[in-house]
Amino acid sequence: MIDRRKFLTTVALGTASAAFLSACGQSSSAGQTGSAENPVTINYTWWGNDDRAERTRKAIALFESKNPDIKVNGNFTDFAGYWQKRATEAAGGGLPDVMQWDLSYLRDYGQRNQLLDLSTVKINTDAFDKSLLPSGQIRGKTYGIPTSTNAFAVYYDPAKLQSLGVAEPDGQWTYKEFNAFMLEVGQKANGTFFGGTDYTGVWWMFNIWLRQNNIQAFTEDGKLGFTKDDLKKWWNTTAELRGTPALVPEERVTQLAPKSAMGSNVTASEVTWDNFMAGYLGDSGAKELKLVPVPSDDPDNLGLFLKPSMLMVASAKTKYKDAAARFIDFMVNDPEVGQIFKTSRGVPASKTQRDGTTFEGTDKLVVDYEKSIEKYLKDAPEPPIVGFGTLEASFKRVSSDLNYGKLTLDGAADAWFKEAEDLIKQNA
Amino acid sequence: MTQSPTLSRRSTPSASPQPRKSRRRGADARAGYTFLLPWLLGFIALTVGPMISSLYLSFTNYNLFEAPKWIGFDNYATLFQDERFLQSVGVTLNYVIFGTPLKLAAALAIAMLLNSKRKGQGFYRSAFYAPSLIGASVSIAIVWKAMFGDSGPVDQGLSFFGINLGGWVGNPSMTMPMMILLTVWQFGAPMVIFLAGLKQIPADLYEAASMDGAGPVRKFLNITWPMLSPVIFFNLLMETIHAFQIFASAYIISNGEGGPAGSTLFYTLYLYLRGFSDFRMGYASAMAWLLVVVVGIITLIFFKTSKSWVHYSGDSK
Repeated sequence: MIDRRKFLTTVALGTASAAFLSACGQSSSAGQTGSAENPVTINYTWWGNDDRAERTRKAIALFESKNPDIKVNGNFTDFAGYWQKRATEAAGGGLPDVMQWDLSYLRDYGQRNQLLDLSTVKINTDAFDKSLLPSGQIRGKTYGIPTSTNAFAVYYDPAKLQSLGVAEPDGQWTYKEFNAFMLEVGQKANGTFFGGTDYTGVWWMFNIWLRQNNIQAFTEDGKLGFTKDDLKKWWNTTAELRGTPALVPEERVTQLAPKSAMGSNVTASEVTWDNFMAGYLGDSGAKELKLVPVPSDDPDNLGLFLKPSMLMVASAKTKYKDAAARFIDFMVNDPEVGQIFKTSRGVPASKTQRDGTTFEGTDKLVVDYEKSIEKYLKDAPEPPIVGFGTLEASFKRVSSDLNYGKLTLDGAADAWFKEAEDLIKQNA
Repeated sequence: MTQSPTLSRRSTPSASPQPRKSRRRGADARAGYTFLLPWLLGFIALTVGPMISSLYLSFTNYNLFEAPKWIGFDNYATLFQDERFLQSVGVTLNYVIFGTPLKLAAALAIAMLLNSKRKGQGFYRSAFYAPSLIGASVSIAIVWKAMFGDSGPVDQGLSFFGINLGGWVGNPSMTMPMMILLTVWQFGAPMVIFLAGLKQIPADLYEAASMDGAGPVRKFLNITWPMLSPVIFFNLLMETIHAFQIFASAYIISNGEGGPAGSTLFYTLYLYLRGFSDFRMGYASAMAWLLVVVVGIITLIFFKTSKSWVHYSGDSK
């Protein structure tokens, strides 16, 4: 008969040694660098839709074939869930090695030492426009490398306009003219689709309007640079259109989420980033979408700017700094990667990648659009404050409540300001 | 009936005249604790530990990245000035107060139907239980969202009868009925417990009542309800606690935002958003502890009031 104590001791020892051995195994086989026989695996995560997933898979396969000593384990979600997942991982100390990043969240993570200072590793940035790189830098450290640039634009569906006999816009318009355009389209479409989406709910469009009026969104010391009245004035811009065929009702917008109204084919126009072209075409099945500049009441000041549409960052805790750097370098510089993504991430930021990519059809439209607005471009906006991602999300939520009629104009402005001031105080 | 002293686990060594037996008992206890150890370690590391640290965090300002800063009761004080917090409390109470009784009523009604002798009863029992098996899963919330979405089956079905509500998912006044329907539909677990309770009621009570000329309503009120009251109490308590914790379905149906217009901003969803979207983990911890306390108080109230309506066999009442 087996002695019980002996048995238990054996079981305990066995379990412990198995755990010990497996821990050892991990550290010995997974060194800092890999080889073709024994590659290291880095995790890469991004947000996007199916279209981007397909392109990313191609880019990863290409990278692996050129770098047999590194394997890339890819993984993606939609934008909203993306940041909650990152927060959980950051709290647990397990951020993926390489990540696609957004300017809105760069400060939150960079300033709090979650991201790798990329100036300490080898990434070639010679082919980048010097005015673009600072947007990835905070307090002298480089946390993100822009993959590409994007700018705000008004999308429209020429086929839809043609079917209604509405002339295509030329993009030289005031807010009044733009609103009239959406109303005309909505009324003529008679319920089959709407004129557009309420653009006053989009933070970046508000930011552009502020710049058109020479107001800064944030002050140097991280406070709000605009007043409650400015915000009310902005949300009032489309007040007359709410509830008319000009704007898609908020109910529909909510139903269609996470797809946009334009991508779902229920509007003829939408104000958003120019790099959404590929995704919108894929989602809606439209043959062609065109881009024109955003409206402005001052024809000489469109408030437009080029923003890094996405950045590549690495986790501060990654064990494979060199592998991560090589992957980032590849994703931002390699001409073949440009050929895969075209303008779906935005117009490539690195000149090598831009020159190595042939832009045709709709991709050419995006590139041409960014060229056409060159004379209006101003410096990129002041770097967003810590917690900006939260502010951006609550801007969307509060303006949605406004559209639902759950909040009055005054109530909406109060609600957003209260949250913003609370957040600024929290992070001070 | 009195227990014999030798069987009592509390017998002290001095009371036991046989030292051999006591040594054996000590060994038994050690073996018992050894086998208990994995669970105990898990319980301490994964439940007690996090609970204590969350209690500590609820008194701090903690953004997940930097060391927590002690701020005392500030989080708790701020809660009651936070309109979204108050909204989440309202939404959750609405759901608990209307959803739970409806779910239990459905469970009891179906259990009574399934309790009668009919052909193919086994099939019906499995069929009615099935939604609860898959009900908690994420996929059902996705299906639900599609069903109640714009021009989904529900919208089309209703418009066939001339009712044009449009999609429910984007309509703030329809999302709560939809969430309640979703929970009512998952009545399987309380139903099974009701069914077991119904089987325990002696058939001769009903026979005797029939002889006295009692109708179905009278039989239900005077026999079924009192005889079943301990089971009803159990289900009511469990389902209420469960309803307070609704999260997954609300998260999925509202794309993790609690919309439209905050109509699905359930307590736990707002807690999650505060913690992981706004990086306010101290605040979220305070919310979590407030929920623990409130659910504790509600449980206590249930137990106190239960004395007046729950009857156990052998009660003098």
